[in-house]
Amino acid sequence: MRRIGEEPVYEVFARRSEGEPLRHVGWVAAPADSLARIYARSIYDEESWIEMYVVPRAAFIPVEAPGPSAEARR
Amino acid sequence: MSTPLLDRPSALPQECVQPLVDLVVALADNKHLLGLRYGEWCSSGPTLEAGVAATAMAQDELGHARVLYGLLEELPGAPRRSEHEWLASDARTVAFLQETFPTWPHLIVANVLLDQALALVLESAVDSRYLPLRQRARKVIEEERYHRIHGHGWFLQLAAEGLGMRRQLSEIMGGLWTDVLCWFGPGDGGALRPLVAAGVLAEAGDAVRGRFLDAVGPLLQEAGVEAPVRYDGLRWTVVNPLPWEAWDELRRRVTR
Repeated sequence: MRRIGEEPVYEVFARRSEGEPLRHVGWVAAPADSLARIYARSIYDEESWIEMYVVPRAAFIPVEAPGPSAEARR
Repeated sequence: MSTPLLDRPSALPQECVQPLVDLVVALADNKHLLGLRYGEWCSSGPTLEAGVAATAMAQDELGHARVLYGLLEELPGAPRRSEHEWLASDARTVAFLQETFPTWPHLIVANVLLDQALALVLESAVDSRYLPLRQRARKVIEEERYHRIHGHGWFLQLAAEGLGMRRQLSEIMGGLWTDVLCWFGPGDGGALRPLVAAGVLAEAGDAVRGRFLDAVGPLLQEAGVEAPVRYDGLRWTVVNPLPWEAWDELRRRVTR
């Protein structure tokens, strides 16, 4: 069983109401997309979100980021 | 012309009252104890996220039990039950819940088999003619959707760890398998038959068992976990006959 620090990270985004921008609310570590959805729903439940999404951190395409240039990492 | 709804206990056909009481007690008792067992893993799951998810499922199950106990207050002849006056010795639960889950895979097996079996029974009440049951079943089923995703996701993750874990899962399932499959009742539902006839439940017995097997069979196959179930080209069926001679229909458990 994988433990803390070994699982892929998913960033969590949510929206409280129609017209409000989607905002970053946190992250979860999970071994699969399905479990990332469950974890995000149970951890970030302090608001009545009308929408919530998880995105694998690995799917982010850097535009500006610390470290090696965005272009060099592509 | 649609069939009229039964909006209060006095509208229920007499032959439905006791079977409904017995079913609701067993559903709620199992959900209450399942919630307590999930909750025992709230700070000891394999990851922080897993522990929080177990806590959320525990809250859901305890809430479902409370909602179902509320249904009993309206039914004549129902035993007194509430989450504050709960006695394990009096509870109508499957044997698998009587002890703390010794490992995380035990929790996941309960999630995949028992949690989902109870959800399927409640699913057969989402269009119930008995309005108080219909309203409660609809609320519960919405939350159960997430329990299913959790159980399936974790079961596949565990199984992918290797042959040793797949054998462990198979062995753990052996302790719950017959209880869960019998839970739906024999043949056309046994004691639940009057509830189906009156439209309180849409179906019981083999019909619900078939839906359960059609949901669990493909998961077991994908995970590569052995269980006494096979696919005949149309449906998933059990390999061995179920032990109806040892089935306690009132407590809804197999006596060993």
